[in-house]
Amino acid sequence: MPLPPKLQEIVDDFASMSREEKIETLVAYAESLPPLPDWLREEREKMDPVPECMTPVFLFGEEQPDGGVRFHFDIPPQSPTVRGLASILANGLNGSKPEEILSVPADFFTPMRLEEAITHQRINGFIGVLAHMKQGAVKLLQNKS
Amino acid sequence: MSYVHPDYLVDTEWVAAYLEDPNVRIIESDEDPLLYSMGHIPGAVQVDWFSTLQHPVRRDFLTKEQFEEVASNLGITPDTTVVFYGDKSNWFACYALWLFQYYGHQNVKILNGGRAKWEQEGRPLVKDIPSYEKTSYRAKEPDESIRAFRGEVLTHTTSKKPLVDVRSPKEYSGELISMPNYPQEGAQRGGHIPGAVSIPWSLAVHEADSTFKTAEELRALYEGKGIRPEDEIIAYCRIGERSSLTWFVLKYLLGYPNVKNYDGSWTEWGNLVDAPIER
Repeated sequence: MPLPPKLQEIVDDFASMSREEKIETLVAYAESLPPLPDWLREEREKMDPVPECMTPVFLFGEEQPDGGVRFHFDIPPQSPTVRGLASILANGLNGSKPEEILSVPADFFTPMRLEEAITHQRINGFIGVLAHMKQGAVKLLQNKS
Repeated sequence: MSYVHPDYLVDTEWVAAYLEDPNVRIIESDEDPLLYSMGHIPGAVQVDWFSTLQHPVRRDFLTKEQFEEVASNLGITPDTTVVFYGDKSNWFACYALWLFQYYGHQNVKILNGGRAKWEQEGRPLVKDIPSYEKTSYRAKEPDESIRAFRGEVLTHTTSKKPLVDVRSPKEYSGELISMPNYPQEGAQRGGHIPGAVSIPWSLAVHEADSTFKTAEELRALYEGKGIRPEDEIIAYCRIGERSSLTWFVLKYLLGYPNVKNYDGSWTEWGNLVDAPIER
């Protein structure tokens, strides 16, 4: 199964960037991660922690009327790298169906060559965040059946 | 009672006053290196503990020649006063300072409170990346009196000299092999070096603004655990960054003359075949 088109586009963009462009783009993604919506801020216990990350990361997958999923993240501003990675995943996967999210391979980011800009340990944050987005997708599927 | 070597510490006001001084270079060194790109102290340059300060191939720091190249590119001369600051209570700022001292740079300081305090006070952060005229920095031979290797650590533990384990209590006990909430990778075995006392790094700083505790509080903390000024001390953590903060506290704030940082730390010791471990 091919990657969801928006995620594929982001992967292709990064693949062609210089190290400096990758850092600038990560910063832009980190800055554009939207704050938690008020309703979720009040029901924060709904959010799942991502213990694989070095910083406290919480996420929640919200089902949309058309069956797509919208992910919300709560990540402190002191951790821009994880914010940037989560923002890439949110931009690439928001609106996708749970089945599409589950089909994203765990190493989808290899062609982005992020290791030119950030350390491997941090790139692993991607794996943790994606795994928990998939768990969110599974929950939504289970609720349906 | 004040710190024994107060010259090694400056506050945010001092840094704000010296932003334009050509003899002062401010260096940001973070755990999350993207923070510098999000905004840094005006005029500050960046070193990244991994991509700037580590040897590109071996598990080691830069060679002397590579360090000279880095320092030259940052426009530093042996007379430059270098002020380090960073995130996470200055872990990697202390780490970078330690490496600069290892290669003989004398005029080094830590910004007390680091990035957190500068931000809390609403001081300016900018995105412009400054450039300084390149110098031809000549480093000194490595100062081995501040760095411990595994052989020395083994001798130290068998001869029952003091070791300070600055990791979190669960890493010391062996329940975890990395910090809570961090990836549990890097070591095959958990526990601590036999005889090491547990004094988590975090006890040396105020949680609210990342500044160091007072000399009285620090002296009571370390002497209370039997770590005395006349001792030969080795500090370690997981990769040597948290222990460089403790090294800085013991060496400069409390003035202990013989303190080494074991940068191999648990990611080396916990993987060494035949190394003694206590749980």
